[in-house]
Amino acid sequence: MDALHNLAFGFQHALTLQNLMFCAIGCTVGTLVGLLPGLGPLATISLLLPLTYSIPTGGALIMLAGIYYGAQYGDSVSAITMKIPHASSIVACIDGYQMTLKGQTGLALFTAGVSSFIGGTVAIVVLTFLAPTLGEVAFLFGPADYCALMLVGFVCVSFVTTGSLLNGLAMCMIGVLLGCIGTDVNSGMPRFTMDFAFLADGVGLVSVALGCFGIAEITKNLDSGEERTPFNGKINLIPTWAEFKRIIPSALRGSVIGSFLGILPGGGPVIAQFAAYAVDKKVSKYKDEIGSGAIEGVAGQAAADEAAARTSFIPLMSIGIPENAVMALMMAAFIIKGIQPGPNMIAGHPDLFWGLVASMWVGNVFLLVLNVPMVRYWLSVFKIPYSVLFPSILFFCCIGTFSVNNNLDDIFITCAFGLLGYLFMRLDLDAAPLMLGFILGPMLEENFRRAMLISRGSFSPFATRPIAGSLMAVIVVFVLWQIVGAVRKSRNGGSRAVNAAVADAARS
Amino acid sequence: MNNQTLVRGLFLAAISLLFGLNALRYNIGSFAHAGPGMFPFMVSAMLLLIALITIVRSRTIPLVPLDLNLKNIGLLLFALCAFAVVSKLLNMTVGIAVMVFVAALAGRSSYSVWRNVKIAAGLIAVAFTFQKLLGLNLPLV
Repeated sequence: MDALHNLAFGFQHALTLQNLMFCAIGCTVGTLVGLLPGLGPLATISLLLPLTYSIPTGGALIMLAGIYYGAQYGDSVSAITMKIPHASSIVACIDGYQMTLKGQTGLALFTAGVSSFIGGTVAIVVLTFLAPTLGEVAFLFGPADYCALMLVGFVCVSFVTTGSLLNGLAMCMIGVLLGCIGTDVNSGMPRFTMDFAFLADGVGLVSVALGCFGIAEITKNLDSGEERTPFNGKINLIPTWAEFKRIIPSALRGSVIGSFLGILPGGGPVIAQFAAYAVDKKVSKYKDEIGSGAIEGVAGQAAADEAAARTSFIPLMSIGIPENAVMALMMAAFIIKGIQPGPNMIAGHPDLFWGLVASMWVGNVFLLVLNVPMVRYWLSVFKIPYSVLFPSILFFCCIGTFSVNNNLDDIFITCAFGLLGYLFMRLDLDAAPLMLGFILGPMLEENFRRAMLISRGSFSPFATRPIAGSLMAVIVVFVLWQIVGAVRKSRNGGSRAVNAAVADAARS
Repeated sequence: MNNQTLVRGLFLAAISLLFGLNALRYNIGSFAHAGPGMFPFMVSAMLLLIALITIVRSRTIPLVPLDLNLKNIGLLLFALCAFAVVSKLLNMTVGIAVMVFVAALAGRSSYSVWRNVKIAAGLIAVAFTFQKLLGLNLPLV
């Protein structure tokens, strides 16, 4: 009953006229920017973060959350209608686009919208009941446990986002090193500042995010040189009852899968979509149709996507550890607004916590009643030529960077990260793990030094404490599994090469 | 040198050495009482290990050529720097216009002064809206 009482308290905050407006603006602007080529939720939040600086804390967080799931919906719209894949909507391209080819664009968009609503609703129920409980568990965590949890996050995010553990870990470490720039909290000594005063407080998060995602993304689109063809098809959003009935089971399955996978370190929308799609392909009544434009192929993944996006807030708000790059950015937004996410957040700022939870459901309703019917108008954004669009994105990068400290010098730092982001992109290094490393780096260092101080220089707490030991065991098993996989692959490759050489020799 | 994996390895090694060697300038301390250099040094050492593995792997995996096109990124960064410098010397309104005109050189379609004027005017209007509605402290005049 406590949870329901708290939720009612949250709705009191979320349903004020001001917060409703911020939620609607967040959803709308997020959808609009999320539709643009290459701009996923991470880049969208980076670009729009500065807009929230002058907004009251509660409203700002509600707006940012709205931007996040609005951007995700925008992603799925461009995936369904034009097969423009973003990281968070790859699966939507499969059946969603096939439905468009069959002339069922409206049905696919309606399915995605309704399924997202179901997924979001289920996830909010999970969030309401689980977050306070997990918050109490977080009080059991010592410095070594926090370190181990962050390392699990690094390993999982590295693998999930890049597919290559080695490249992902390298990016995490670069992020951690960039996080070391500035004054050392323990000794007060400036590190890696090259005697520049403006680096004493460290590198600005917005500069890193806009450089690595905003500018690098524009350059990628300019380099590729391809012009998108705007969607001009017919959109009929009203499904038949038979079609509507097919949405529900898949959406519910996807909601449960997404809610669970969203909580895990490194989890989140991308992995949840794939898992829901795979489960639907196995157990759905219409499994044979999936892959060729089936409602179930869109419903399950859309629900999982939305559910995971919501439940990934649980570790952030209850333990204070973001488990993917988007949540790391959200954490930075919390800190900018003077709120430290963690076990004390629920008790210390109940209005913010429950207001945010309730606003997620309000945001869901907005997406359903506002964005789904207006989707044909959103798609007109693709009629804007890229030569007009990219100076506008660049303008947002400039304003965003400047607004953090009202300092034009910060734009030069953004430039440096723009170049770095471009090099990362060309070297096939994904910047998402860097973001997580950059934000968690100072926390990792602080907890590592504290753990070592308590244990008088011994690494044993990482193995002997139940939480840290279990988490480190997970890391070791995962890394060993990767190494064994890589060795097997190279051996198979080697023997295949030998066989081919023998066959060539025999032929000659 | 046109090998993406090899360049990636060298790039990672350069970053690890940059941070690792600088970390040695600070007090390392002991594990029980870690100095400011300890943590970055440890992370740099691990990054160097990954860099070395990447360099070794570049000899065993199929070659992927490195695709670098510095024209567009150069123009975009120049546009950003021009925005910052002009905004400092004059004001942000002129800075926005300069940024649009420089950045447009990186566009795919033919360069159009009239189009750039329209984009700049639109963005300046957005900047004024941000200043008035969101209270952003933009030095537009």
